[in-house]
Amino acid sequence: MSDSHGIDRREFVKSAVAIGGAAALSACLNRGPEIDVPRGPEEPDAAFPARQHAWNEFLPTTDEGNNHHPRHRVLLPLDYGEGTPTDAEREAVETALAGVERAYERSAAGLLLTVSYSPYYFDRFDADLPESVDLPEPRALASFENPNPDDPDAIVHLASDYGEVVMGAEETLKGEIDELNGVSQPDAALTDAFSIRERRTGFIGDGLPAENQDVDGVPDDGPVPEDAPLYMGFESAYEGNQPTEDRVTIQEGPFAGGTTQQLSTLTLNLNQWYEQDTRKQRVAKMFCPHHANNDVVEDAGENLGTDPRMDDCADPMDSARSDGVVGHGQKMVDVREDDAPIILRRDFDSTDQGRAGVHFLSLQREIADFVTTREAMNGEEVDRNSAVGQRTNNGILQYINTVRRGNFLVPPRSLRALPPANPEAAEDAEVAHA
Amino acid sequence: MRRPSRRSFLAGIGAAGAVGTAGCLGFELQSGNREPPLVENRPDGVYYPTHTEGMLMGGMASDGGYSCALTYSYPHRFWTITGSDTTQVEVGSDDALHLMPFVWHSETGVVPSDVNPSVEVTRDGESVVSGLNPWAMLSQNMGFHFGDNVELPEQGEYDVTVTVGEGSSRRTGSLAEAGSAEFEFTIDYQRSELQEVPFTDIPEAKQGSLGAVKPMEMDMVPIRQAPAVEDLPGTSHGRTESGDAVMAVQRLDDAARFEAGEDQQYLAVSPRTPYNRFPLPLMSLSATLSRDGETVFDDYLYEWLDPDLGVHYGAVVDGVASGDELTISVGTPPAVSRHEGYETAFRNMPDATLTL
Repeated sequence: MSDSHGIDRREFVKSAVAIGGAAALSACLNRGPEIDVPRGPEEPDAAFPARQHAWNEFLPTTDEGNNHHPRHRVLLPLDYGEGTPTDAEREAVETALAGVERAYERSAAGLLLTVSYSPYYFDRFDADLPESVDLPEPRALASFENPNPDDPDAIVHLASDYGEVVMGAEETLKGEIDELNGVSQPDAALTDAFSIRERRTGFIGDGLPAENQDVDGVPDDGPVPEDAPLYMGFESAYEGNQPTEDRVTIQEGPFAGGTTQQLSTLTLNLNQWYEQDTRKQRVAKMFCPHHANNDVVEDAGENLGTDPRMDDCADPMDSARSDGVVGHGQKMVDVREDDAPIILRRDFDSTDQGRAGVHFLSLQREIADFVTTREAMNGEEVDRNSAVGQRTNNGILQYINTVRRGNFLVPPRSLRALPPANPEAAEDAEVAHA
Repeated sequence: MRRPSRRSFLAGIGAAGAVGTAGCLGFELQSGNREPPLVENRPDGVYYPTHTEGMLMGGMASDGGYSCALTYSYPHRFWTITGSDTTQVEVGSDDALHLMPFVWHSETGVVPSDVNPSVEVTRDGESVVSGLNPWAMLSQNMGFHFGDNVELPEQGEYDVTVTVGEGSSRRTGSLAEAGSAEFEFTIDYQRSELQEVPFTDIPEAKQGSLGAVKPMEMDMVPIRQAPAVEDLPGTSHGRTESGDAVMAVQRLDDAARFEAGEDQQYLAVSPRTPYNRFPLPLMSLSATLSRDGETVFDDYLYEWLDPDLGVHYGAVVDGVASGDELTISVGTPPAVSRHEGYETAFRNMPDATLTL
C-alpha cells in the first residue's frame, strides 16, 4: 500500500468513528488492510485486573515520559428503564463485555473499556450506596454555569488507538456482529438489558485536533497547531500532573477497587483564543504569566517533558494582582496532594454536534475531589480580590462552556454488570433468604 | 439544575431602531469592515479617534435585578489587554457584526464588573454561536460594557440569549441582591441596515488630539458615568491622576456596608476616565497612608460595587487625618478591552500621590 493510501485510510477512519454504525465500520474495514490487533485472553476474568480503570500498566509511555492516551474514544450512554436488574440481565451484560475483551487485547492498540453507573441508576434500589462511595447527583459548580444533568443509567467508555477497534467493540456490544477480530462472539448484548440513548465520540493525540478543526467553535483558518494533542494547542496530561491510579481508587467497602467518574460535556469557543489572544496570552492563561514572560513553553509544550514546572509560577494572587492574569495550571497547584493532583484526567476532544468540544472525563476517589479541583479552577479568590475577572484573564474559563455534568461510579470488575446499590447488604439479604 | 425558564419581558423599544449619535455619514460602508487607518503618533492618553459609530438596538429586556440592551454595530477593531500589554484585534473576514450586550443593574444603573455575561446565538433552533463570553470593554461613546465581533453565516433573524451569573460578594445595597439573569432577543441581521448605521468622521485636525467624544445618549439605556466628585458620598479628599486616569479619593465615616463596623472609616478610590467620567473597573490597586513619616496603612484596595460610589476600590482604614500622605499603586491597569481612543491610556500607570 502506498503512503497516500495509508493517509486516506486514516482520514477515513477518523471520520468513521464520529459517524459510527455497522456501515461505517464495514466501509472502514473494506477500505484497506485489516489492522493487526492481537486477541485478548480466553478468560479475561482470570487475566484482567480487578480495577476496571487500571489502564496505565497497559499503556506505553511517550517519548516525553507521559502516559499515552488511546487516540479514539466512544462513550455509550445507556438507559436501563424501570425496575431492578435480574440475574439473567447481569449475565448478559457480563457475557457481552467479556466477548469483546476476548477479541482485542487490553492495550492501546487493542481495547480499554470501563462501565460506570450514575446516581439515577442506583436510585432504583431500596438500599443506599454504602458510605464508602461518594456519588452525589451532579450540580452546577460555578456561579456562571447552568449545566444539564447527565442522567443516563450507565456509560460505557471504549478507547483504542484504532478507530476500527472502538467501532468494532461498539457494534459487537450492540449485538450487531457475530465475529470480532476472528473471535466468535456470544449471543448476548448490552441491549439485552439497556437501550442505547446516543453515542458520543472523540479523540486525543498529536495531529487529531488539527485534522478535526473544521467545526463550529474553531476559526475557519485552521489555527490549531498540527502537532497539538488537544484543541487548545497544548499538552495537558503531563505525568507530573496526574495522580496514580491508587490515589483515585476507592479503598474500602463493597466497591473497593472501583473509582468515581466525573464526565462534563464542554463546548469550546476558540475564536477569541486563536484570533484575539496572542500566543503569550495563551501561555499565560493556560500555564502562568511566568511561563509566558520567560518563553518556558515551546510549541505544544513537549519541551516540558513530564513536568509543567508549576513550581516556577508565582502565587496565583500575586500573579493576578501584578500581571492581571492567572494561569489555569497555576490555579490548580494548591489542590495537589503529595505534589500531584487528586483527579486522574482521561478527557478527550470531540466534534459531536459539529462543534469543538471536550468530554472532560476524570477519575477520582470521591466526586468531592473533583468538586475541590473545579472550584480551584473557578479562581473565585483571585476574581474577588484582584483585577482578574470572573472569566476574563481567569485561566481558560472564558473559552469553555459547561453544557452537561454527570457523576458515575466505576465499580470494580467483579461488579461491573448492573451492580446493586449495596452489594454487602444484598449478600446479607440473600443469606437471610437462604 | 437548569432553572425554570424565566422568559424575560421585552421592553417597548422597536426592534432594530437606529439609536445613538446623530450626524452625517462619513462614507458609505460597503463590506461592513472598512475602517480608516489609525491616527499616526497616537498620544499616551485618551485621544479623539478617527470616527464614531452609531449602533442598532436589538431590544431591551429586564430580568432579576438587571436590564440588558442588546446593541450591535458593524465589526470593528479593538484592543485586548493582559496586564499592560495590549493586542490589536483586527476585524476577521467572516465577522458579521460587533455585538454588545449592554447589561446594567436596573435600580442603580451600575454596569457590573464582577460578572461576565455569556451569549448564545441560534438560528431556527440551531446553534450558531455557543458559549461566547464577550470582553469587558471601554469605549468613548458607551463607557464600560461587554462586546465582541461575531461571525454569522448569513443575513436573517437570529435568537440571542444573554445570561448573567451571580456576582461576587463585594457588593452593597440592592446590588447585592441582583441574583442571576437571562435575556432573550431576536435580531434581524441585514447588511444594508448596518450600512446605514451612523459612521461619523472626526475632523482630521482633531483626530489624535487629547480629548474624547461625548457619551452617546440613548433612550432607556443609561450610560453610567462615575458620580461627579461633589456627588460622591462621604468626605472628599480631592483627586489625583495616573496614566491619564482621574482618581477621586473619598472617606466614609461608616464602613458598615463594607464588611466592617459603623464606627470604622473607609477609604474609597474612584478611578474614572478624563472627559467622560467613565468608571475604570477591573484594576488591582493598593494604597499606603503615612502620617508624620510613619506608615499607618499599607494594603490592597478591593473592588466594590456600591449604589452611591459605583465601581470603586476601597479598604477600611484606622483613621484618616488631614495632612496624611496617600500613595495609590496600580498593580494592574483596567483589564478591559479598549475601543479606539482608549488603547494608549490607562496602561502605564505610575504611583499616584495625594496629601489628604
